[in-house]
Amino acid sequence: MKPAASATRTEDRELLRRLHKEGDVRARERLVARHLPLVRSLARRYAGRGEPLEDIEQVGAIGLLKAIDRFELDRDVSLATYATPNVVGEIKRHFRDKGWAIRVPRALQELNARMSSTIERLTARLGRSPSIAEIASELGVNPEDVLEALEVGSAYTTLSLSTGPGEEDGDPLESIGEEDTGFERSEDRASLEPAMAHLPPREREILRMRFEEGLPQTQIAEQVGLSQMHVSRLIRKSLVTMRGELD
Amino acid sequence: MPEQVTLTVPLAAPFGLVVRMIVSGVAERAELAFEDMDDLQLAVERLLAEARPEGRVSLSFEFGSGYVRTRIGPLPERGLAEALQQSGHTPGQITLAWILGTVVDSYGIEPSSGEGIVVRLEKLVKEQA
Repeated sequence: MKPAASATRTEDRELLRRLHKEGDVRARERLVARHLPLVRSLARRYAGRGEPLEDIEQVGAIGLLKAIDRFELDRDVSLATYATPNVVGEIKRHFRDKGWAIRVPRALQELNARMSSTIERLTARLGRSPSIAEIASELGVNPEDVLEALEVGSAYTTLSLSTGPGEEDGDPLESIGEEDTGFERSEDRASLEPAMAHLPPREREILRMRFEEGLPQTQIAEQVGLSQMHVSRLIRKSLVTMRGELD
Repeated sequence: MPEQVTLTVPLAAPFGLVVRMIVSGVAERAELAFEDMDDLQLAVERLLAEARPEGRVSLSFEFGSGYVRTRIGPLPERGLAEALQQSGHTPGQITLAWILGTVVDSYGIEPSSGEGIVVRLEKLVKEQA
């Protein structure tokens, strides 16, 4: 550990001791002030996803306060290390709670949530990918409602970068705290191979199955244990990431 | 007689959703399967990603019995035509040509009336048993 970091940790522990043993609220205020740059740094990674940065920072600060109050003095861990998952967790909850409610009528949210299982059921029953009309008929809605709900799901994924309801997936937000890979936009549009190496193994495997083996999404979904809609989203997101379009 | 839908949109990112909605609406009218609709959306998205994020692009959709033909342009010619004409595939590489070759039944390049090129995508409607 570098001397500066060691000194910071020692000062933090003294402030934490004063807070927890002596009830010194000014120690808490100082701890908050000392670690606000960490909160801002984490919050910035979520900027441009439909929520004002200031709001995200405030939510993150709540996570920091919780971490300070819950910190156990006998734990051999720095406050920054302990606080990071608390701050990230608070931000994630905020996006999950607010992601839908801000933009999308509840009826569309619910229709989107039913869509994935309906498509899977129809695919199994028909032995092929269903048409939009068949999905609509199964759900008892108009085809236009199905299209709207599909795009709503797409928009939600893009905005929140979190999973939709009822879906099992590794949350991209989980990668917070790691260094940004910062892909540079490839000048060579002939090949996306170098960028592919930056993708998580599951996404790489899905791309390989789709574009090298030529498997349809339904088969890939079966093999990796996700819904077809989810496979579709992961393919889109991976290709966008590889082209550096999120930068 | 085939139906035709044509639109011109700004290339700015917020209009991507508009294009997706139009593609899905056309696919629904043409009775493409859900998965094929998704493939067509992906092909259109990938091509639009090749254009600069300013200016406008036109998309035309022609759909008759058994097919949806999409034309997108003008797209910047520089390097794109060459990339689309690449044949063959190296394992571990995902090229634009390979993506299009996977998600549509055929594609090709057509001359544009102005600068750039027009890319044609064709998706066949599968028989629904």
